[in-house]
Amino acid sequence: MTGKERIRCVLEHRQADRLAVDFGTTPVTGMHCKIVESLRHHYGLDEHPVYVHEPGQMLGYIEDDLAEALGTDTAGCFSPKNSIGVFNKDWKEYRMPWGQVVMLPAKMADSFTMKDGGLYTYPEGDNSLPPSGYMPERCYFFDSIERQQGEIDDDNLNVEDNLQEYGDIDDETLGYWKTVTDRAAKTGRAVVAGFGGMALGDVARIISPAIREPRGIRSVAEWYMSTVCRPDYIKELFDRITALAVKNLEKIHSVVGENVDVVYVCGADFGTQTSQFLSVDTLNDLYVPYYKRMNDWIHQNTTWKTFKHCCGAIYPLLDSLINAGFDIINPVQIAAKDMDPQRLKDEFGDRVTFWGGGVDTQKTLPFGTPAQVREEVLRLCDIFGKDGGFVFNTVHNIQANVPVENVVAMMDTLKEIRS
Amino acid sequence: MDNLYNAIFKGLAPVAKTSVQEALDAGKTPQEIIDDSMIPAMEAIGQEFEAGRVFVPNLLLSARAMKAALDILKPLMMAGQTTTLGTVVIGTVKGDLHDIGKNLVASMLEGRGFKVINLGTDVSKERFIESARENEADIICLSALLTTTMDYMKDIVDAVKASGLNVKVMVGGAPLTSEFAAGIGADGYSSNANEAVAVAKELLAV
Repeated sequence: MTGKERIRCVLEHRQADRLAVDFGTTPVTGMHCKIVESLRHHYGLDEHPVYVHEPGQMLGYIEDDLAEALGTDTAGCFSPKNSIGVFNKDWKEYRMPWGQVVMLPAKMADSFTMKDGGLYTYPEGDNSLPPSGYMPERCYFFDSIERQQGEIDDDNLNVEDNLQEYGDIDDETLGYWKTVTDRAAKTGRAVVAGFGGMALGDVARIISPAIREPRGIRSVAEWYMSTVCRPDYIKELFDRITALAVKNLEKIHSVVGENVDVVYVCGADFGTQTSQFLSVDTLNDLYVPYYKRMNDWIHQNTTWKTFKHCCGAIYPLLDSLINAGFDIINPVQIAAKDMDPQRLKDEFGDRVTFWGGGVDTQKTLPFGTPAQVREEVLRLCDIFGKDGGFVFNTVHNIQANVPVENVVAMMDTLKEIRS
Repeated sequence: MDNLYNAIFKGLAPVAKTSVQEALDAGKTPQEIIDDSMIPAMEAIGQEFEAGRVFVPNLLLSARAMKAALDILKPLMMAGQTTTLGTVVIGTVKGDLHDIGKNLVASMLEGRGFKVINLGTDVSKERFIESARENEADIICLSALLTTTMDYMKDIVDAVKASGLNVKVMVGGAPLTSEFAAGIGADGYSSNANEAVAVAKELLAV
């Protein structure tokens, strides 16, 4: 089977010739640039600075040679702009505070300012504006800086303000998607695309590090509170986002067609480590109708499968997310409360594909031994891999502090399972 | 229950402000208002959270209403004239900027009768110790969301022990476990903001 056939097979809940794996095709299934560099070295690949395509989390681009070495079944298509709104082009070498030289868009690297040992980033790389991101000393990625101006004036809240980052897709961007999906399809691997514009209430977007002057509700805590105290505003916003998303999807589909296998829809997290950010009723009322509209359009008009990222203890919410039409759930945070792998597989395994959950990244991968990593990968692939419905990935991105021997132990175990 | 209790329980900050003023106009002292309405309201919303009937956004709303009421009472309270359960210095550790959970813990502690000094995020061990010394703190609370920053908590616990301060250290944050907390020598661990209050009370036997 080709990678594309293998992913398609498991997404249809059938057993493939071997375990399907993904590394690095979304902002939530990737690796820190430090890990990508270590793996390139481990596999004896050309050693050059790693391209950082997503600077918020400092995710390293997995080039074709590394993808081959890892045996990944997927090829990713990313937005032309990074998380601070700078085009991923005109690359330039930059030495990060931990000593690694990476490739960053020059417009971003040239705009950095330093204070107290930390690095500041700016929307669209324009440092005449207030900063929208900060990497403190001892940290390995950029966190967004909240730029909410004053208290929310409920009497004058205007949904247009929270729509700043949404709009009609232009011809240039459509051309970009055609080029990158054509190229990805030629690899023979399954194409995973993040077109953007479909996220509902993803706080990484709400905080808006790419917007020059954000308006509306832009604080993370304020957003969460709004799900309780401003439901009508949220519904109006989601209605508008959904209408725009469907309109843009029609145009995108007309140029990329069925070259795409999986579309990344939304990264809003509804779980904490031990609980949820909302009740099942609130999810069904505020989110599900809009997710359903997007998923229904995709399923009625394309062969694409839909990918929902949602961290945390989301066991009570899974039924609603599946009913909303999502085909894929990620990252399957098995260390969170009530996220027992066997129970998840038994109760939901025939209705949704688990994309992730292959090894715990809060304890085992960063702090365990290679033997413990191997044992966990074997156990989880055995549980999740039965009868399809599983694409191996770690629980969320592999972080900078993970010992490379643990990552290699994971890769070697996968090779063993897949041989 | 009274209007202020209801306003805090339901997370209505503007109503909390008017209700606290009404209670003052009726002749209640700030301490009576805190003890009779505010602490019980925060206890009640905390219990609802523990029972899974309300969620983090509800706690954030109640904490905001509580703070709005407290902001009116604070200038009226003379130093030393109010009773607290103890003094807590809290912050997110160096290298980590995540603060929603940490701020929620701070609000829950404050709303339940502790004096809280919130040092913000990216806080070094030196700043924790300096603030604990200055404020004669009973507890230092450390928060971290990242697997890359949680190890720094051990440095802080070791530095606190070496400082000779008579202060307990509590830790919390998504990737932490009670085993990790015990392993680095912390005195207490909690997995959520409501539980943090119970742990703090237990540590100080109040």
